Amino acid sequence: MSDYTPIIGLEIHVELKTRSKMFCQCPADHFAKKPNTQTCPVCLGLPGALPVPNKKAVDWAILLGLALNCKVSHESKFDRKNYFYPDLPKGYQISQYDQPLSTDGYLNIDGKRFKIHRVHLEEDTGKLLHVGTDTLIDFNRSGVPLVEIVTEPDFHDSEDVKRFLEELHTIVRYLGISDADMEKGSMRLEPNISVSLNINELPNYKVEVKNINSFRYVRNAIDFEVKRQIELLEKSEKPKQETRGYDEKKQTTYSQRSKEEAQDYRYFPEPDIPPMVFKEEYINKIKSNLPELPSAKLNRYVEKFNLKKQDAYTLSRDINVANKFETVLKIQVSDNIKPADIANVILNKKDRSSLTVEEIKEEVKKRKQPIHTDEKILALIIDQTLKSNPKVVEDYKKGRENAIMFLVGIVMREMKGRADAKLVIDKLKSRIEKLNAKS
Amino acid sequence: MKLLGKSLLELKKLLEDKEISNKELRDYFLKRVRKYNPALNSLITVSSEKAHPTGVPLAIKDNFCTKGIRTTASSKVLDNFIPPYESTVTQRLLNHGLSILGKTNLDAWAHGSSTETSDYGPTKNPWDLSRVPGGSSGGSAAAVSAYISPAAIGSETAGSIRGPAAWCGVVGLKPTYSRVSRYGVIAMGSSLDCPGPLTQNIEDAAYLLGIIAGKDLYDATTSSLPAQNYLKELNLKNKLTIGVTDEYFEGVDAETKRMVDKSIAIFKKNGHKIKKIKLLSPQYAISVYTIIQRAEVSSNLGRYDGIRYGNARNYFADEAKRRVMLGTYTLSYGYYDAYYKKAQKVRTLIIEDFKNVFKDVDVIVAPTMPTSAFRLGEFEKYPFFGELMDVLAEPGAVSGIPAISIPIGLDAKNLPVGLQIMGNYFNEQTILSLAYQFEKETNYFGVIKKGFANYKD
Amino acid sequence: MKKKILTKEEILHLAKLANLKLTEKEIEKYCKQLEETVEFVENLNELPTGKVKPTSQTTNLTNVFFADGEKSKRTFESAKATENAKSKKDGYFVVKRIM
Repeated sequence: MSDYTPIIGLEIHVELKTRSKMFCQCPADHFAKKPNTQTCPVCLGLPGALPVPNKKAVDWAILLGLALNCKVSHESKFDRKNYFYPDLPKGYQISQYDQPLSTDGYLNIDGKRFKIHRVHLEEDTGKLLHVGTDTLIDFNRSGVPLVEIVTEPDFHDSEDVKRFLEELHTIVRYLGISDADMEKGSMRLEPNISVSLNINELPNYKVEVKNINSFRYVRNAIDFEVKRQIELLEKSEKPKQETRGYDEKKQTTYSQRSKEEAQDYRYFPEPDIPPMVFKEEYINKIKSNLPELPSAKLNRYVEKFNLKKQDAYTLSRDINVANKFETVLKIQVSDNIKPADIANVILNKKDRSSLTVEEIKEEVKKRKQPIHTDEKILALIIDQTLKSNPKVVEDYKKGRENAIMFLVGIVMREMKGRADAKLVIDKLKSRIEKLNAKS
Repeated sequence: MKLLGKSLLELKKLLEDKEISNKELRDYFLKRVRKYNPALNSLITVSSEKAHPTGVPLAIKDNFCTKGIRTTASSKVLDNFIPPYESTVTQRLLNHGLSILGKTNLDAWAHGSSTETSDYGPTKNPWDLSRVPGGSSGGSAAAVSAYISPAAIGSETAGSIRGPAAWCGVVGLKPTYSRVSRYGVIAMGSSLDCPGPLTQNIEDAAYLLGIIAGKDLYDATTSSLPAQNYLKELNLKNKLTIGVTDEYFEGVDAETKRMVDKSIAIFKKNGHKIKKIKLLSPQYAISVYTIIQRAEVSSNLGRYDGIRYGNARNYFADEAKRRVMLGTYTLSYGYYDAYYKKAQKVRTLIIEDFKNVFKDVDVIVAPTMPTSAFRLGEFEKYPFFGELMDVLAEPGAVSGIPAISIPIGLDAKNLPVGLQIMGNYFNEQTILSLAYQFEKETNYFGVIKKGFANYKD
Repeated sequence: MKKKILTKEEILHLAKLANLKLTEKEIEKYCKQLEETVEFVENLNELPTGKVKPTSQTTNLTNVFFADGEKSKRTFESAKATENAKSKKDGYFVVKRIM
């Protein structure tokens, strides 16, 4: 194997699920709507139209920055990123250049820290559909708020990337700011991949892979790319700086367009939008809306509730499930219930998201309540059981303690579980003794 | 009834008093359009009567989107563009019972100071058809000057209202940047563009400003300061300190200079104090303006790709392409700091310069243009001729302060000359009031009436 | 800012960025005019601007937003969006296939 180390950075785009678009009041929910029916002068880029930013989108992007341990900028602004493409109606995308909403964050995954370079806000483009000799354009998605998260090139292992992305996905869903649905494209993943002989040295090229819609595919794409690039380098060929696509069937990447001519976006401050100033109190107010994040929850479940780490992990993945767990925990269903009991009830269910708090409560209660045993019926069933299993009774009498458990099993089955096991054992033993004494 | 020369407010009163019907009024102006527009080419689109049957008709510069009325910015790129929405300015005018007579010619995309770069042919100066009306709101100024329209709306990026107002002998007000919404105005220099009125007198200008000024939820850069009733407060209550600076007389034609001096003497006679001040040379503002405006233009014209509306980019004429090329250059990698950022910094210096001066004076007066109107074709001969003609408007434009140009007489060529009064941010009231006092005193030496004399009914 | 001599390649690069097709004559012309303009704005270097903050707008406004979920009065009714388009199909805008 070679001495090359993969050097990977990530760009992740997350569509916010605000009700309105980023710079106009058109609905932001564009999925499966008739083409161009959710457009207005602003998001269609008509002459003379002007953008006004959506406050919630800004607040949510800041919230995400805070969740990723970023420093929120006290002064921020929008900039124009100028380029031409048919899905970009204005000839520029309103984005953020040198004063993003937040910078310098990190995310810890299994004791490893991955640095986040910046989190900024921008607008989505329209959608292109290639049919026959035509390309069709739908601008319903144009202007939907998009958060871009850029990591440092801190990753050297595709598995770390996968774990990081899973954690980020969970956080975004925790914050309730996006569906982060990769099939629908509301979360888009773009790894920048290169390989180097020196882990501390960034190579002078990088390959960006686009159109990946699952975490597993990201891992596969990285693995493929790393192998491809090392093979090239070992033949003394430098990998081209380019954008590649991912073919999920073949599990390979393919060249999309090379960036031989460096892009020059001619960023400049968006003159149509006054700058943003965030005071400490304002940032703190947003911070106070931060829920307990999944990793903190996991640790608390382990430390405070003595849950097994794997169970705590599973419970904390979905904030709705975690919330139900904690709600039931607070209700005090009955005495001597351990958090693990509630956890087990939830974990044993396949469809955890549809489970209601009421159902969990009932289930826990059922499992834990001292069972009221109808002793008359129990006496009858015990007699019957002893009568029809004389050989087992004999074994017991001969000192085979195990034999009694066999009888308990039969009695419990007959009682349909509505009997306290300890009581059943006691009654069985005393009945056998009585019968023994008589004979 | 004799309507020639009636002001917007006078016509409004006649309508309200039912002295004249909407139809009569509209027909009167349509008749004048038919009679005089072919020679002047001031309007390039006349709106249908059906769309605008009532209210005093106004001429609107063709860079304001008007719902259902073709809007071209005088460029073939937008040859058949029918906006599906209304600009805030025109919407507010309509809300106040005014109507749109038609759309006026401009330099294509408002790129110019002569209205010669229009793809629909140049507008002629009503005072001399061999001369330009100034620009870029040349069509609007000419329409008022020849009474094709009782008043008009224009827009200024640097001199585009004041310049043509001076050369056509009418009143032109450029409000503070952010005082009037730009929503629906085809963007030229986004950090500079200001809609404003061109009128025969101050009352009409104050009335129109009162309508179009104020916060607009669709333009994030509009000020939240409430608009005033400028008309009500026109009478000046106190004596002002008027700043005059030598820098604004450099290279100004001797006759213009003499006429401005004469006007300054009238201000003095009215009890105002004249104070010599020092300002940065307007030459710096030309450079700042050139860089910032081209940069913003290069980005603002990006949307014209012919996909959603209009024609493809090969329909851009020379001037637009030139500006886009320069703007692209100054914003491009490696040059941004040397040009765009440097210009933004000098812009700060110009703003500070004005702020300091306004600690000592209430207003600044200066010539509007260095000369009276040029002949058609002169602009093409020299690079930066437009910028040089607008030199006295540019410092005010890049700093965003308000200014008004008023007629102060005719020169030896029988062409109007304008004087501008610049005020502090959002102090439109003071410049309007001082101009109003001047108007009462001089009646602009009869310039407006003399202008109409050549355009009888 | 020393006087910069622009090459034809640079002009073509700019034209590409600006999405403009230029004729040979235009390339020559803009090359010359660009140089003239660059020379023209050189006077800015006479002013020291070391610590001066750049002004990108003169309004002094900050934090201008709209509230999410506000009723949209501007969203186009069906087919209005494509009304001015030269090429459209089933509610879509159409260009020649690009991929």
